[in-house]
Amino acid sequence: MNIVEAKKLTKVYNGKIRAVDELDLEIKEGQIFGFLGPNGAGKTTTLRMLATLIPIDSGEATVAGQDVRRHPANVRRHIGYVGQFGGADGLATGREDLMLQGQLNGMNSQDVKKRIEELIDVLDLRDFADRKCSTYSGGQRRRLEVALGIMHRPEVLFLDEPTTGLDPQNSANLWVQIRKLRDTGTTIFLTTHYLEEADALSDELAIMDHGKVVAQGTSRELKQQIAGDSVLFSFKNDKVNIIKTMQLFKKQPYIREAAIEGEHVRLYVKDGAEALPELLRLLDKENIAVKTMALSEPTLDDVFLRKTGRSLRDTVANGKGNGESK
Amino acid sequence: MKVLRDFILLFKREFIHALRMPTWLAVGISTPLLYLALYTPLLQKLAGGPGFPSSNVLDVFLPGMLGYLAFMSGSTEGYGTIFTLKDGQIERLRVTPASRYALLLSPILSDVAWMWIFISILVAVAIPFGFHAHITGLLVSLVLLALLVVVTGAFSVTVALLTKEIATFASIVSGISLPVLLLSGVLLPLSMAPTWMRIIAHFNPLYYVVNADRILSAGTIWNSTVGLAFLVTGGLVLATLLWATRVYKKAVA
Repeated sequence: MNIVEAKKLTKVYNGKIRAVDELDLEIKEGQIFGFLGPNGAGKTTTLRMLATLIPIDSGEATVAGQDVRRHPANVRRHIGYVGQFGGADGLATGREDLMLQGQLNGMNSQDVKKRIEELIDVLDLRDFADRKCSTYSGGQRRRLEVALGIMHRPEVLFLDEPTTGLDPQNSANLWVQIRKLRDTGTTIFLTTHYLEEADALSDELAIMDHGKVVAQGTSRELKQQIAGDSVLFSFKNDKVNIIKTMQLFKKQPYIREAAIEGEHVRLYVKDGAEALPELLRLLDKENIAVKTMALSEPTLDDVFLRKTGRSLRDTVANGKGNGESK
Repeated sequence: MKVLRDFILLFKREFIHALRMPTWLAVGISTPLLYLALYTPLLQKLAGGPGFPSSNVLDVFLPGMLGYLAFMSGSTEGYGTIFTLKDGQIERLRVTPASRYALLLSPILSDVAWMWIFISILVAVAIPFGFHAHITGLLVSLVLLALLVVVTGAFSVTVALLTKEIATFASIVSGISLPVLLLSGVLLPLSMAPTWMRIIAHFNPLYYVVNADRILSAGTIWNSTVGLAFLVTGGLVLATLLWATRVYKKAVA
């Protein structure tokens, strides 16, 4: 069963910026669905529309069987949402905040207490649950925010950039906890601009760019679409050499693509293991001295590059978002 | 019932927030007392003269002060809105099934409650200094002032939701507040003002509230000025709430 479905979902800002452009989406129940894309791709906007936070301009969407446009109040009973800025109350203790969240969701006080104890265990909140949230570290705060999102045992949890701003250890912990949640039957819909996160965490993922899904499937399926490996070279000499080398590479029929990445040259070939000896012979003949060489299987970034012509790493590093979130 | 429960839960939360901000509390209590201590002495020589018919200037000054306090307590609410917008609290609460009205109004109602507390302290301090307190009049006045807080609070929250950032919000709200306050007679009654100022003042809702406050505080309740103040403020309550709910439903993005 699809727990989230969207058909031609569209959001237009200022009459012309198509933040989300006729997006189709089908998400199966009980999995972690990752939404990968650079800042400004429309991930957060999509999430906000599905979570009833902003109006849908056109198209249809259902979440947990409820129509998002017609019955937003029904949708809210089935979802949890943890935004980029989380929304924990700095002036309340974690326990107080969880209590409020449960009560607003219509839970009775006995159930609220029981659930808080559960969450304190699951998300490891024991040490700080009774301290004011303004004293929390980033990781502690994020855990509380996830707890707030799942306090009422929602069927679908929306997580917007769950690990942004967390150190690697805290991120890894959160991943473990997100998987645990999935194993208890919650469908998790998360956005991320981290390739590793999308790759490691998602059962299925969609890659989004300019308001559209450019690819969807399991990480393995997507990488298989690339059907090829990449080889990364660096050379002993300077730039002139690289340009010459590029020209040389482009003449070889077995090289599908060649691109300069900083001081490296990346090649896409059908079969890396077969191409390597060939490449070395070629470079040797031209007296081009290789400094390093690495063969790698395709990554999600390669998928992104293939679909959009840009590297996600570069996009994330250069464009610090063009106002997607606020 | 669900709506009432949401109102109580969220009101409690907002009210307790204030208790956890000692600086905010200290300023809330000390502002009116500072006016009392450092402004009323300037008025002493006016007692019995134009604008101050009573022998004690507090009888005219204090009711005006109440209007000022209510006005400010509502119109600063938008700062809180912007902070809770930025740290995601508004989003987080909007995704819950909680009543939209309760979400929007609970901070404003908490302002009303605290405004009553601050005013009670002010009145209690002013009585030994010769302020003639008419209890019934004051109580009616507290209701009128509560409506005023709702108007300025809803306005302030809506401007905050639309501007979404402190700098623009602050310029708009303080830009509007200053002329409204000056043209209402909160500090000195406008009966002392030239005719043109009094004419303009009639377009200022706060002017009606302040006039009514002074009459109520003197012990008169059934009075056309008081009725007019309730009418004007009540109408504005409806208008601002309608605007606020419309913006709240759509614009929080």
